[in-house]
Amino acid sequence: MAFIPSRIKRHKTALVLSLNLTSMMDMFTIILVFLIKSYSTEGQLISPSNFLKLPYSQVQQPPEVGLDVFVSKQMIMVNHEPVALLADVMKNDPAVMDHGVIKPLREKLLTTSNHAKKLEVDYGIKFSGKVTIQGDRDLPYSELVKVIRTCGLSNYPNLRLVVYRESE
Amino acid sequence: MAFQPSKRRHRGMESTELTLTPVMNLMVVMIPMLLSNTQFIKIGVIDLNLPPAATATSATAVAGTLPKETRRSLDLTVSITDRGFYISSALAVLTDESTAGPTIPKKADGTYDFEQLTKKLYEVKQKAQDYFPDTEAIVIQAEKDIKYQTLVSTMDAARSIEVNDQIVILFPRVSLSAGVI
Repeated sequence: MAFIPSRIKRHKTALVLSLNLTSMMDMFTIILVFLIKSYSTEGQLISPSNFLKLPYSQVQQPPEVGLDVFVSKQMIMVNHEPVALLADVMKNDPAVMDHGVIKPLREKLLTTSNHAKKLEVDYGIKFSGKVTIQGDRDLPYSELVKVIRTCGLSNYPNLRLVVYRESE
Repeated sequence: MAFQPSKRRHRGMESTELTLTPVMNLMVVMIPMLLSNTQFIKIGVIDLNLPPAATATSATAVAGTLPKETRRSLDLTVSITDRGFYISSALAVLTDESTAGPTIPKKADGTYDFEQLTKKLYEVKQKAQDYFPDTEAIVIQAEKDIKYQTLVSTMDAARSIEVNDQIVILFPRVSLSAGVI
């Protein structure tokens, strides 16, 4: 005796489509691990200026926070504010230079350090005397030394030269 | 009439699939977040500590504490010139074997020979280690037109050397000297 075919099962042929996500997951996992590895919780402490090209170095020391001094080929800036033109500094213009000290830079640094010292007294924010110097890689030594000398004489003896780290 | 029991006794296993959607959501959120926070350019800093405002009083105070005889120091100096490196110390000025030229002349293609400088400084370090207290300090001076990049590379060369897969610290405490301004 023949059975009657089930009427319910007649339409049960719907094809179940599913994306195969496994390979994509693999890829994402690798990217995620790579990104977490290079992730630093500190954020960007030093933002390199667009006006200059920093030199390369094999140093492994991570950056620290400090007063930013930029020395590009055109001008010297403190915290992104132009202070002096490099051309005047190179010419040893007496209006700008005084015995190897860049006068406007010195004034600016003294104002900033006085302000920072006042903050130290009032709020206990320690004044470290740290300054990060971002210099263009083609800067001549004589101009760099002038900037360093001025910083040293203006309450900022802890200098940090900012460089690009060469990846090994 | 009783139905006959289904003959499909061995049903195929139900395909069990992980629900990947929540994980995917997480990935999609996290990857842009991390990407936007990543620094692809690694920035580092070189320490360059000047003595804090060397005044006449502090200099005599330091000099007064130590008897003169014991203050024997190496005073290693590397001078960068447009012809090459000169290395000098309390002992002697090292010169090229043949002439009175620079200790380490430039390479034939006009670039500075940093590897040779590192090797030479390693020799100095080994010789000086037992005699002098200041075997970590070095003074670098340069001619007026020497580029900043050259200076930084010289500091790199003076910092450490790799000998037999071991990193030997040479002279990491750098001071700059400007001569007479």
